[in-house]
Amino acid sequence: MLKIQDISKNFGSLQALKDVSFDVADGQIMGLIGQNGAGKSTTFHSILNFLNYQGTITWNDQAITEPVFDEIGYLPEERSLMPKLTVEQQIVYLARLKNQPAKKIRPQIDNWLERFAVKGNKKDKIKSLSKGNQQKVQLICTLIHNPKLIILDEPFSGLDPVNADLLKQAILTAKEQGAAIIFSSHDMENVEELCDKLVMLRNGQVILHGTVREVRQSFGKTRILVTTNWTKEQLEKLPHIIKVERHEEQRYLLSLDDETAGEAIFDELTQGKYIEEFSQQPPTLDEIFRLKAGEKDE
Amino acid sequence: MNKLWIVTLETFLRQVKSWSFVLLILGPFLMFGISIGAGYLGASGSASSDEIAVISAQAQLRKSFITSDKDDVNKSITDKQTAIKKMNNDKLAGYLELKVSAGKISGHYTGTSSLATGTKSRINSYLMQAQQQLNLANAQLTASQIKSLQQQPTLKETVHKKTGTANIAKKISFWITVIMVYMILNTYTSITAQEIASEKGTKIMEIIFSSTTAFKYFLGKILGVLLVILAQVMVYLVGGWGAYIFAQNSSLTKPFMSQYHSMITSVLKNLLSINLVYLLLGVVIYTILAAFSGALVAKSEDAPKAAQPVIMLNLAAFFVTFPFQNNLDSMVVKVLSYIPFFSSYFMPLRIINNNASALDIVLSIVILTLSIFLLAGYIGKIYQGLMLQTDDSGFWKRFKRGLSYNK
Repeated sequence: MLKIQDISKNFGSLQALKDVSFDVADGQIMGLIGQNGAGKSTTFHSILNFLNYQGTITWNDQAITEPVFDEIGYLPEERSLMPKLTVEQQIVYLARLKNQPAKKIRPQIDNWLERFAVKGNKKDKIKSLSKGNQQKVQLICTLIHNPKLIILDEPFSGLDPVNADLLKQAILTAKEQGAAIIFSSHDMENVEELCDKLVMLRNGQVILHGTVREVRQSFGKTRILVTTNWTKEQLEKLPHIIKVERHEEQRYLLSLDDETAGEAIFDELTQGKYIEEFSQQPPTLDEIFRLKAGEKDE
Repeated sequence: MNKLWIVTLETFLRQVKSWSFVLLILGPFLMFGISIGAGYLGASGSASSDEIAVISAQAQLRKSFITSDKDDVNKSITDKQTAIKKMNNDKLAGYLELKVSAGKISGHYTGTSSLATGTKSRINSYLMQAQQQLNLANAQLTASQIKSLQQQPTLKETVHKKTGTANIAKKISFWITVIMVYMILNTYTSITAQEIASEKGTKIMEIIFSSTTAFKYFLGKILGVLLVILAQVMVYLVGGWGAYIFAQNSSLTKPFMSQYHSMITSVLKNLLSINLVYLLLGVVIYTILAAFSGALVAKSEDAPKAAQPVIMLNLAAFFVTFPFQNNLDSMVVKVLSYIPFFSSYFMPLRIINNNASALDIVLSIVILTLSIFLLAGYIGKIYQGLMLQTDDSGFWKRFKRGLSYNK
């Protein structure tokens, strides 16, 4: 289990992290979200011991030092490999730095290239691969040694939907194998789909923390999807409605300032008769992200 | 396998597999081969016209001349007509007619140009010796009279150590040493600084630092470069030894090697000594500084500029040696022979000049080694911060930001 307790980090006068705490259990996926500059990469750098910080970070109750490095798979935010090496040399070199013998890794390379649908040969130079294929080779380097702790910084950025699905599948396989996985993303759909829990950072502080369901529920069921023949203007006149968005013909999304108003609105709209759709839900992660990102610090 | 060794090996192999390294290694051998080849072609092209024929009615006289000077003579030509024909075809420089008449040996040379000084003096020497033997035979002297006439004058030569060949050898050793140290340091500081700078701020460094410590990685890089230079020195030693053996046995270079044997031996002794240790330690300390310099560039695109500060320091140390080439006993030379970055130039010069005691040498090596450890320790400690920060700001801001990673 990865445990982070009250970590803080300053760069001169800039407070990059302040009392950040969370944990990720084995077989759990955690999403780390926040706007650019919120402190996600600094959190990852702290976990990887790239910088000194105040607080405690442990992996299975051990400080994260070199012996633990072998259990970590890390994919940085920007992609970068050694362009003059071949695909095989690159994978083997990085795997050897994770204490994996070359003779164990070499026979696996073809399977991994196939699994990630890398277009090219293992004898090709990295620089001859397309950007997308280089990204996939980097993912292979991150995962080939079967890490127990996987840290992925923006893993979906730049991937097309097909490759994003391949990555999702790889993440879920690693989870099934018991790895603790933490990834950052600006795509809330991916977070919602994959994560067991999430942490949202703003200006280096944790502003949301919990399972995806808990976080969403904590915002109340302030969102109603309704299919009705009422007009937008009529809907806006209902009590506690703060916003009405038309999604499709006769389908609207209503935002409430009080979730308890839902029952009264239901009665008003149905008048005791059949209605095609009425669903009262908590806000989506995307909406929560926009809402929280826009708030000012207390 | 130890991660330090993995990084060392990877750095070493990446360098030695590059074309630039192959060219660097082969360069001196190519130059040597080209000079020898050109010399050989020049010599063989003019070989026929340098040779002379010896014509004589007295077969014994001709034979004894050929025995005394076989290098200059074309032995296959025995008559005047053939000699003239060959001479007209530019295949022969000329012909020497030898005859004995009324107890007097005479020689007459006919050629396309004057005889070379060396050949002329060898012919004269032979004629004098042959005439003397003929005179002695004609005089019918007793054994004691012959012995008395064979007395030769003697000339003894005493060469002071600080003059003559020894002095020339020192001068040659001085220039070879400073130029060799300068060239090697320049090459390896550029290689190291550019290699480190090209990795600066790239995410591959984050991947590597998530696998091993920055200190180990830094040391691995330095050791890798050190292995490269060791390989280069080994190739040069083996190749140099081969060239030396070749030069000693080749007809083209043999006279030169015999003539300057003592000087060449003296230069080789000066080069193949503790001075090699200074060269290696010099490479290490300059390499560490070059790595630091490479880690301080703003971004990987600035790699070509990365080595500049270290190259300037090396250039300064190189030029400071110039005023002291004739004054190696100076106090400045003594002081600089203990100061790291300068000692790799100055202590070898003192050693060549025989004015450094064993204690001086040991002390200088200890200071240099200690400086290497301290510098490597400090830079290794801040290396991670320097490599991971990517601020495109001024030098000091980048340096401070790099240090703040570790605070």
